[in-house]
Amino acid sequence: MSTFLDLMVGTLTQGLIYALLGYGVYITYKILDFPDLTVDGSFPLGAAVTAVLLVNGVNPYLTLLAALVSGALAGLVTGLIHVRVKVRDLLAGIITMTALFSINLQIAGSNLTVERGVDTIFTAGPTMALLGGVPLIYRKLLVSAIIVVAFKLLLDIYFKTKNGLMLRAVGDNATLVTALATDKGKIKITGLVISNALVALSGCIVCHEQRSFSATMGTGQVVFGLATVIIGTTIFKKVGFVKGTTAVIVGSVIYKTCIQIAISLGLPANLLKLITAVLFLVILALGNIQKGGVKKNA
Amino acid sequence: MKKTAFKFFAAALAIAMLCALSACGSTVPVIGINQYGEHASLDNCREGFLQGLADAGLVEGEDYSIDYQNAGFDDTIAGQIASNFSANNVAIMCAIATPSATACFAAAEDKDIPVIFTAITDPVEANLDEGNVTGTSDKLPVEAQLDLIRKLQPEAKTIGIIYTTSEPNSVSAIAEYKEKAGDYGFTIESVGVSAQSEVTLAADTLISKGVDCFSNLTDNNVVGVLSSILEKTNEAGIPVYGSEVEQVKLGCVASAGIDYYELGRQTGAMAALVLSGKATCEELPFETISEYGYYINSSALSEMGITLTGDVAKSAVEAK
Repeated sequence: MSTFLDLMVGTLTQGLIYALLGYGVYITYKILDFPDLTVDGSFPLGAAVTAVLLVNGVNPYLTLLAALVSGALAGLVTGLIHVRVKVRDLLAGIITMTALFSINLQIAGSNLTVERGVDTIFTAGPTMALLGGVPLIYRKLLVSAIIVVAFKLLLDIYFKTKNGLMLRAVGDNATLVTALATDKGKIKITGLVISNALVALSGCIVCHEQRSFSATMGTGQVVFGLATVIIGTTIFKKVGFVKGTTAVIVGSVIYKTCIQIAISLGLPANLLKLITAVLFLVILALGNIQKGGVKKNA
Repeated sequence: MKKTAFKFFAAALAIAMLCALSACGSTVPVIGINQYGEHASLDNCREGFLQGLADAGLVEGEDYSIDYQNAGFDDTIAGQIASNFSANNVAIMCAIATPSATACFAAAEDKDIPVIFTAITDPVEANLDEGNVTGTSDKLPVEAQLDLIRKLQPEAKTIGIIYTTSEPNSVSAIAEYKEKAGDYGFTIESVGVSAQSEVTLAADTLISKGVDCFSNLTDNNVVGVLSSILEKTNEAGIPVYGSEVEQVKLGCVASAGIDYYELGRQTGAMAALVLSGKATCEELPFETISEYGYYINSSALSEMGITLTGDVAKSAVEAK
């Protein structure tokens, strides 16, 4: 039975770490209504910065901060390109993402691996002092959970502040924001900065967990983020009191579980993505049937 | 209806659980193979690996069973496959290509599961030279290749090479090519690309620069569209040298290169030692293939008007 438990723990950890990326996409796609493709670049950016710092012996906890800052800068660039240079949202993200591919390689030199001897946030002193008796895979789960829940709470509080409410208003009704004499450009930039900071943080923790950075690790992450947000919000469509951030966590865990199921089924390797796609379709279809069913009853 | 969604999900999870349990229920040790993607060289590695286990007298189903997973060139999936192996307590992880190997080695940390890798150019650079890990390297025989090109094209001056800037194997191979080309009287004209869609553009660039031939690396991106490169070079009458036997089969004129099947077999032999407890990974340093073969494609050679002479003519093997 321990095998199954390990499998669950591993999948849950993955789901949690990638939920941070999900938060980021939730802010741009769901709240700001901004299809931000910077994600495919800012995710490996966080990992590249982290890998270089870890290899050079920097305190592992500081890498979290460094990744947040690097991601924020990436978001700022996309924001400035969109708002100041007036490039369309999709293209602004594509420009930053493309540039980041080279920048990431420049930062890391090439693909980087972090030796086992180097401490990560899962093995460094303070973590061991707190959770030293816990086996590594459970420690990974707990540390990730602490970070993900902390940022969920921070975001939930932020969304209730005036600034956070403005963020939501820009996506829902941009005219209102202008009527309130607030610069909606600045708010968009703020949203992009926060979003990409979280995405880079996700890349940072993935780097801690996998002990490696590769230039191609960002490919497809924006698709993952969108799927996560849509799965999460579809499932909780009818449940008003569930926060968006919670839905994202659930969506991310479901996504990773789908892949885990596809892997565990032991089907031919080439069918992996197909099985994953079918699982998604079933989940989304069930969510929408539910909507139709309610209407009929009403 | 939401409950239905969860019911379905729970059912799927239960099926997955049963599969996982049935895998661990048997007493035969499991070898988890994490292959980065599907292409001929990597497939040959895997088949060679299985042959290597068989050569050592191990029988599948009695001495070991195989859990083969393929990441489809997706780093995230490679990572998840690796943690899946760790959760399932496999006896050995076999990793084919660098991204799979780093993913396996990271996931194996929890339980100190031995990792045997293959098709990795530089295990030292990838930090896979210390700890419970060993395997075989597919470092290119750059000098042998330069020597071969000199023998087949005595008049040639420049060699064109396309490589992917994000593949560390290719970057280090390019550096070695540039360093050693002078010794054989060549200059290297290289074009770096970041995506597969740019490869044919790069081929056009090199052809327009008037290179005398192309030489390939083991660059996954470039090798993936080799046929379309060959279409262009054949039209321009420029010979292309491969880096291993599969590329010669596809239409490259010749190669001083690696046979990935042999490399896999060597890896399988190492895995057999670890599996049967005769040696630990720490006792087995990673190995490189020291003997390289000449592979040729006669029809491609005659199309380019190249005739074989001397020792190449004697030792070359027709790739088929």
